[in-house]
Amino acid sequence: MSLLSYISDNRSDLVFLGEQHVELVLISVAISAAIGIGLALLTQPVPRVRDGLMSLTGTLLTVPSFALFALMIPLFGLGSSPTIVALVVYGIFPILRNTVTGIEGVDDAIIDAARGLGMGPARRMRTVVLPLAWPVILNGIRTSTIMLVATAAIAAVVHGPGLGQLIFQGLARIGGKNALEQTLSGVIGVVVVALLLDLLFIAIAKITTLRGLNV
Amino acid sequence: MSDKHTPGDDAMIVLDGVSKHYPGQEGPAVAELSMEIKRGEFVVLVGPSGCGKTTTLRMINRLVEPTGGRILIDGEDVTHSDVDRLRHGIGYVIQQIGLLPHLTIADNIALVPKMLGVKKAERRKRAEELLEMVGLAPATYARRYPRQLSGGQQQRVGVARALAADPPVMLMDEPFGAVDPIAREKLQMEFLRLQDRLRKTIVMVTHDIDEALRLGDRIAIFGPGCRLVQFDTPLEILSNPADDFVRDFVGGGAPVRRLSLLKVSDVLASFGPADDAALGRTVPVEAGESVHRALELVLAARAEGVEVALAGGVRRIGLQTLLTAASQPTTVPA
Amino acid sequence: MSAAAVENVEVSGGRRSVPWLLPLVVVALLVGVWAYVNSLHMDSIETRSLAFDVVATAVWKHIELVVASTILTIAIGVPLGVLLTRPGIGRIGAVFLAVANAGQAVPSIGVLVVLAMLFGVGFWMAVVALVAYALLPVLRNTMVGIRQVDAALIDAGRGMGMSGFRVLTTIELPLAVPVMLAGIRVALILNVGAGTLAAYTNAGGLGSIISSGIALDRMPVLIVGSTLTICLALTVDWLAGLAERVLRPRGI
Repeated sequence: MSLLSYISDNRSDLVFLGEQHVELVLISVAISAAIGIGLALLTQPVPRVRDGLMSLTGTLLTVPSFALFALMIPLFGLGSSPTIVALVVYGIFPILRNTVTGIEGVDDAIIDAARGLGMGPARRMRTVVLPLAWPVILNGIRTSTIMLVATAAIAAVVHGPGLGQLIFQGLARIGGKNALEQTLSGVIGVVVVALLLDLLFIAIAKITTLRGLNV
Repeated sequence: MSDKHTPGDDAMIVLDGVSKHYPGQEGPAVAELSMEIKRGEFVVLVGPSGCGKTTTLRMINRLVEPTGGRILIDGEDVTHSDVDRLRHGIGYVIQQIGLLPHLTIADNIALVPKMLGVKKAERRKRAEELLEMVGLAPATYARRYPRQLSGGQQQRVGVARALAADPPVMLMDEPFGAVDPIAREKLQMEFLRLQDRLRKTIVMVTHDIDEALRLGDRIAIFGPGCRLVQFDTPLEILSNPADDFVRDFVGGGAPVRRLSLLKVSDVLASFGPADDAALGRTVPVEAGESVHRALELVLAARAEGVEVALAGGVRRIGLQTLLTAASQPTTVPA
Repeated sequence: MSAAAVENVEVSGGRRSVPWLLPLVVVALLVGVWAYVNSLHMDSIETRSLAFDVVATAVWKHIELVVASTILTIAIGVPLGVLLTRPGIGRIGAVFLAVANAGQAVPSIGVLVVLAMLFGVGFWMAVVALVAYALLPVLRNTMVGIRQVDAALIDAGRGMGMSGFRVLTTIELPLAVPVMLAGIRVALILNVGAGTLAAYTNAGGLGSIISSGIALDRMPVLIVGSTLTICLALTVDWLAGLAERVLRPRGI
């Protein structure tokens, strides 16, 4: 099987690009999460602004990623920068939406009890609402991550890092030796990265969710 | 080809040794049941849950296929005949009501007529007719959608839909269960009045013994082991329960409850108690009133007896005399 | 454009309240781009790349790609979804869904390129890739839509003497339409996105303008290509949203 032999021959490259891909996704998701959760918290007192933001970021998801990546070039050039910016933009919506849903999903009775105990808004958010909303928020981050893994494969069109490079290199050499294997290994790499990150999130969820919620 | 079943020529529905076994289950869901339901009769199946009452009901229109026995409707063996055609001739009313939310009320009612090829104008007329019959003004309700109606109103439409093709038989599975208690009683009474007019052959399942006693011409009580324990008129069941299970199932207060099933005129006719000479104050009571109602009236007025106008003259009967007469073992003229 | 990305859009829905906003944005973008192009002094390469017939061809090709693949996706996905929810079929449906779900992690560019390498480049091969990619939402939403129809309604229908086919056409399908339309909308967006990449396999489309902008290092070409692509995507989504609203059965 030429595919298997190709993979084993080039495994150090594959691993390297895979690591690049993971790094790229995790960095972007981290920034998306900071922005998404931050925006959700900031706009909580102003629901209309918050809903407007959700509409906006949601609509951005319908934009073909190729176009968005390309538009970043005049602003950020080629390479990692336009890639990360575009990925961050895509990653915001699921996290924003899930943070909003998670916060609203906390039982009003619990919040009422917390107020009755004399907890101010900031303390309530920190010790009651966020911990309870965390599973939902984490799920939003997970969704974003998996989504970005596939989207990042297109980054190669703006000379971005990651496994997408294999796909496009194979494409550039279409008909040539090992071109198909190269592309396929890129695709398989992306799928593997997605699976691994998904498992990572399952583990994180288990570890960070408060025991009382899991009983 | 069609199998004529002779015993009881006015038998509309005959269950002949009908049984249902589900694969993988230990006992049968329904064990060799034989029952005859007369034309125009309103039969209620009651019993604790899990006893196969609903399964039995659904075997009549073969939503559940029997694993043994035969089903005859109007003399014809329908156990293996064309199932869709069978169901066109049987009205089916269920607890969850089941109105199609994307169709108007009128279109919902006209579903079976449409399948039978009835023309549009005719269908609309029939739908309006039926809406009147179930107490909903056609002008208001025909073009509305189910979600705009209350639970009670929706079930009225459910009944109208079941009657649309004028089927001789109706099957009802806890039809008033999803309706609030106040609307439920109203629906039950109105349905009884409708049945008086239409005289359909009806089989109804309920777990509410009071509903059964109120509505049924005959009641089939299913007991432990899901056997058929008693199949009798409400009065018989209250007066002569077959065993302790029936007695318990019917619940306390049977002697008083059966008073609502007895008419004053019938009691006087059957037992001819004498007029009480030294009777104090009386309240007037209609001959057709139930003895239970008479009791209520006498107690409310703090009187001693009743005054009833009969064909042969006015009678004055003391309360105790009336009650004693009413508690005799009965056969009430049908 | 990844499948997972677009799935998330289903839930946003906030745009319903201001239906005219999106067309306004699209028109503003188009006007802006046109003004931008006119204000430039373009060199010969740019002029050639942005010649009206070149751009128009690209737009038209892109629309053809989207329409062809969406129609095929519906033609395959809906009947298949119906089939997999019939009572006799058992757990095959769950297996199909699991496989399709796993396929979500595969990037669209991957499907396009691999298929092109195996079977050749061009319009119809790209359509095949797009169909394979967008099949999941349509298939899954058809199945979910049919499954979520209240069992009591089907019982009432069968109890009335409706044949299995009648139950499907009178009860199950009409009530599944809202969910199915949502899935078709997702498929449309996926197709617009993947169609942009189809340029790399010689299928034409607006992606060809964008990629030539990148390859030739000409920002105006790139900007025009990207903006037009965005306008197309927004318009398609808006139209799909309209269709959802219009085709939703009354009374639900």
